[in-house]
Amino acid sequence: MSTDTPSARVTNRAGDTGAARGARRSRSSRPAGASLGTRRRAPVYAGYLAAALVFFGPVLFMVWSAFRRNVDITGSIFNLTSPLTLDNFTNLFERFAFFYYIRNSFIIAGRSTLLGLLLGVPAAYVIVRRRLAAVGFMTLLARMAPGVMFVLPLFVLSVNIGAPSNNGLNFLLLIAAHLIITLPLCVWLLIPFFEDIPVTLEEAAMLDGCTVGQRFRNVVLPLALPGLSVAVTLSFIFSWNFFLFALALANSDTLPLPVIAFNFIGQGSSDYGGLMAASTLISMPAFLLTILAQRWLVRGLTGGAVK
Amino acid sequence: MATMTETRRRKHDRGAPPGRRRGVSRRDSTGATPVSRGVWPLMLPAIIVTGALVLMPVLYTGWLALSDRRPNGENAGFVGTSNFSQMFDDPLFWNSVRVTLFLLVVCLTVETLLGLALGYLLSIDVPGRRIFQGLMLIPAITASVAVALVWLLIYDPTLGAANQILDAVGIDPVVWLGDPDIAPWSIAIVDIWQWTPLMALIIAAGIRALPSEPFEAAGIDGASNWKKARHVALPLLMPVISVAVLLRTVDLVRFFDTVYIMTQGGPVNSTNTLNVYGYRSAFIDQEASYAAALQLSLLLLVVAIAGVFTWWRRRQIVEY
Repeated sequence: MSTDTPSARVTNRAGDTGAARGARRSRSSRPAGASLGTRRRAPVYAGYLAAALVFFGPVLFMVWSAFRRNVDITGSIFNLTSPLTLDNFTNLFERFAFFYYIRNSFIIAGRSTLLGLLLGVPAAYVIVRRRLAAVGFMTLLARMAPGVMFVLPLFVLSVNIGAPSNNGLNFLLLIAAHLIITLPLCVWLLIPFFEDIPVTLEEAAMLDGCTVGQRFRNVVLPLALPGLSVAVTLSFIFSWNFFLFALALANSDTLPLPVIAFNFIGQGSSDYGGLMAASTLISMPAFLLTILAQRWLVRGLTGGAVK
Repeated sequence: MATMTETRRRKHDRGAPPGRRRGVSRRDSTGATPVSRGVWPLMLPAIIVTGALVLMPVLYTGWLALSDRRPNGENAGFVGTSNFSQMFDDPLFWNSVRVTLFLLVVCLTVETLLGLALGYLLSIDVPGRRIFQGLMLIPAITASVAVALVWLLIYDPTLGAANQILDAVGIDPVVWLGDPDIAPWSIAIVDIWQWTPLMALIIAAGIRALPSEPFEAAGIDGASNWKKARHVALPLLMPVISVAVLLRTVDLVRFFDTVYIMTQGGPVNSTNTLNVYGYRSAFIDQEASYAAALQLSLLLLVVAIAGVFTWWRRRQIVEY
């Protein structure tokens, strides 16, 4: 009996598997079979690969070139085994005092982001709660206005107040100019987040005797934290990347990174390694912040169109 | 301290006549919003700053366009519409309108079509979709200076990557940025590269949010996959697509950094967009008043486009 049972069990199991296999086979012959899932994934991943080649290729090329010697950059791009070097980066810091321009960029982007947030958060909150759609539309218009519109008046202003020769004033003007980017962006990004906070929560707090300020601090702000992080991230990136205002308004002491990189083109046209190293450094904050805040960025960049 | 001022403000507002409060906002009379008191201190700073930073420059540009500011900074005063009549007689102005519209049409068309294809790809549920979707943001958030510099290297006529790849497949090298007939297309390629992924992300989100019932109904009626995509999915996606197109249109009209860094409007003004022309006439030709007229025409273009799209979107919403 005891010897019979295992063999019976084996045959039994074999029979079972056979039946199951048969059933699965008959199911997979139909179009919506379970095993088709993996087969349908293959073309999707092939598409991913193609898209990655096209859309990440130039960025990878930039980072790779930043670590190559100029001799190799001007050679074949198919020479994948060419030696890598840090010379392009050390050159930037030693010969062009790159730290100084990084500091300038941090001053301008950091402070304009902070100011944009300080002004934009209460404004966005009021626009949502009071349903001031017209004001919301105005901020959208401010966001859409072409930057070239602002450069000329700001330049005339800068000349009139003597900003070109005064570094402090020059920074102030650049921060104010970048506020044109960060403030409407903050308001515009925060509106959908504030809209998601249920009014009932605030009404409950109001019944408990909270003032407007307390409700805002203790109820609204904690709930809007993801929105705030999106606003900070994107404002900082947009301000950091912005090129036009500093191109026209900055003096040689207040130049931020994008303009100094642009000036490199004229100085050493054949130093592609240096240019790519500078480009890589400029793009670093954006890359880092994308990795950190990726989930919310999709929503933020598309203005709430994507949740 | 803050609490005290808040209480005082509330007391003050409670005493205010209801008519005055209604004057602040018509919605207030419903009393549905908990933030009905003390909102102006929250709003005013932003309004003042936005006004000072946005409205003042626009008004000043308007004044500049109607007057004659000399390169030495002196303003010869009101000259009426002479800057505008100069603009309408300027072949370079019409050229820049043409270039701007060319880039607008080419980039929008390609970005929408590619965005639909890529958006469909990104909407399919497979492991790793979220991560890939996040990585697709990289071209959009890379500094446009970095984008322009790397594409300058790619487009380099002798040692650039583009021509090396063409050479590897046996195609003659192309003068990407030096030929007036090709340069606008090369610039368009950069913009398409940078912004198609964002378009695709928006469309992918739209596809994922589609209800399944219309597709089941169409399936029962015997519609083919193509017909489902064309007659069910596309109309349902229209609102999402129009948002994406509006975002891109506005940014394309403002398109400046990449063009200015890569070509400065050349060769032979073939990439001289309204933006670049406006900047160049202000800061290189030193004709502030003429530049102001150019920039006002640009603003007009942006407002007109925004208006058309607002109207179009409202029509879409009524239909569905």
